[in-house]
Amino acid sequence: MKTFVAFFAGSAIFGVVTGVAYWLIAHEEATGTVLLGCMAAALAFTAAYAVIAEKNADLPGDDPQETPERAAGEALGIFTTHSAWPILVAISSLAMLVGMLWSPLIGFSGLAALLLCLWRLGAESARV
Amino acid sequence: MIEWLTTTNHKKIGTMYIVATLAFFIVAGALAGMIRLQLSHPNNTIVGTHEYNQIFTMHGTAMIFLVIAPFAIGLANFLIPLQIGAPDMAFPRLNATGLWLFVVGGLTVFAGFATYGGAAAAGWSNYAPLSEITIGTGAGEDLYLIGLTLTGISNILTAVNFIVTIVCYRAPGMTFWRMPIFTWEMVATSILILMAFPALTAVMAMVLIDRHMGGHFFDPASGGNPILYQHLFWFFGHPEVYIMILPYFGVVAEIIATFSRKPVFGYVGMVLSAFAIAGLSLGVWAHHMFTTGAVSNPFFSGISFLIAIPTGVKFVNWIGTMWKGSIEFSTAMLLCIGFLLNFLLGGITGVMIASPPLDYMAHDSYFIVQHFHYTLGGGSLFALFAALFFYFPKIFGVKLDERLGKWFAALFFLGFNVTFIPMGFAGLEGMARRVSTYPDVAHLALLNGLSSIGTAIIAISVILFFINVVISCLKREPVGDNPWGGYSLEWLTSSPPPEFNFHELPPIRSKLPAWDLMEERGISRV
Repeated sequence: MKTFVAFFAGSAIFGVVTGVAYWLIAHEEATGTVLLGCMAAALAFTAAYAVIAEKNADLPGDDPQETPERAAGEALGIFTTHSAWPILVAISSLAMLVGMLWSPLIGFSGLAALLLCLWRLGAESARV
Repeated sequence: MIEWLTTTNHKKIGTMYIVATLAFFIVAGALAGMIRLQLSHPNNTIVGTHEYNQIFTMHGTAMIFLVIAPFAIGLANFLIPLQIGAPDMAFPRLNATGLWLFVVGGLTVFAGFATYGGAAAAGWSNYAPLSEITIGTGAGEDLYLIGLTLTGISNILTAVNFIVTIVCYRAPGMTFWRMPIFTWEMVATSILILMAFPALTAVMAMVLIDRHMGGHFFDPASGGNPILYQHLFWFFGHPEVYIMILPYFGVVAEIIATFSRKPVFGYVGMVLSAFAIAGLSLGVWAHHMFTTGAVSNPFFSGISFLIAIPTGVKFVNWIGTMWKGSIEFSTAMLLCIGFLLNFLLGGITGVMIASPPLDYMAHDSYFIVQHFHYTLGGGSLFALFAALFFYFPKIFGVKLDERLGKWFAALFFLGFNVTFIPMGFAGLEGMARRVSTYPDVAHLALLNGLSSIGTAIIAISVILFFINVVISCLKREPVGDNPWGGYSLEWLTSSPPPEFNFHELPPIRSKLPAWDLMEERGISRV
């Protein structure tokens, strides 16, 4: 986990350095500075979250001496095998976008279907 | 059928990605054939200009968004949990949502062909304001934008899933520095996806707003700025090149190590170079815009040159892995050697056009077409087929025929080079890309004729590949858990693996768990 935090933190620093270098070299062109700034901010946010998450992490994958026998019994969660909602989310997303352009009726139906699918998907995930 | 449509199992999702991308590949390949047929002679009129624009647009779009990148995502879906010893992906439903958004998005992009006015025709880069002109790019263009938005969201969801799975679901003892290179490359790729794809989704939405809701983001007459489109598009577009190549770097490293019977040479360098490439690739987007005169050419040129260093590190690693190895020239290994040779040419031409003066000359010419095909065709596509030969037994429980495979590899390599070497020379003689025909001047007829012959050879080789798949699947000769003598964890489970991957996990004490076990049991690697 520490390795991962280091990679995210390193990426964020790289983003800041590149953004500042770009601004110094090409400050008359704002788009690039904004893009690199957003990138650095996103990476910094992730790195910050990773630092906080790392404090509470006790992952068997991080311990080089850990064995499957010793880690046995640890709950990994329940992995679902089937769900009808993902494919319906995709179809309703398409209906919503297509409808937005050509048919408000299809668009609103798609939006309603998408919200319903996401709600059911969430409910299903909460159960299993 | 319902079983497959509703599955959330990572292996089935990965398999469906792979099958879908191969189906899209057949269509994209057929479109490439039509391009080369049209260009086989000067002044050809087999297809009209507008049809030609649709064909090359959809060929590029399909290869980039629906074949090369998503094949790697499918492979990663199948492999990552196996390589790190996890029972599935962290978010199985999110994974399935990503798959179906990709499939629905891909079909939507192609649905443009069925509309009045045809499919999108503004090139895969879909530059505004060209893509905002409604005449000639009507519903097909809208479907293109919607389809790519859906596939973009699919990529973002899947990248989140990969990162969480790798961070949280590694098996006991599978520390980060014991993970296989492919998994590492997917970490770098996932971060790139998260950084780059939002820009694509945003720019697609902006074009839709301009087209349908009275927006003027890219309309200079109303204060908009077309250069903004190029910035946003290439901020996605150049990292996308690495999203299409980094996973295949991992595939090549795995295959070369397995068939050289040696651990990956310079493992740490291999990992760090992947992140260096990923980071630098986010800072080079405007080298596609040198000729606009609106960007800082020195900045983007400098960073573009820098990318050659970590890429060179990877070449050293691959060659170092082979060095003094006990090399077995399987089909997968031969395709990887083809990858090294072709990608090298793609890389060298890339360094050439990273220099603004050279880029000014080569911009929008067939030299560029040659360059990126050597990178993504000679590079990624060769590794894609290598991956198919290498992982086919693990995915489908069937080994592809090696004799037919070697014929395929030889013909594919020959056809590829006969197709694309002449393009570089045609570009230097002034042939512009994206033109439906050309005059009979200089050596253009000869060079284009050669390219078209090369494409026919590629077509034969690909047909041979699919014949191989059919024959091998009909024969169904059973394979063991580890038919190639691979070193990573996926080779320690059955082929194909059981529902939650492992009945029993071995202790993981190094980067080479399968070889450790072979050594323990006194089995030779060679």
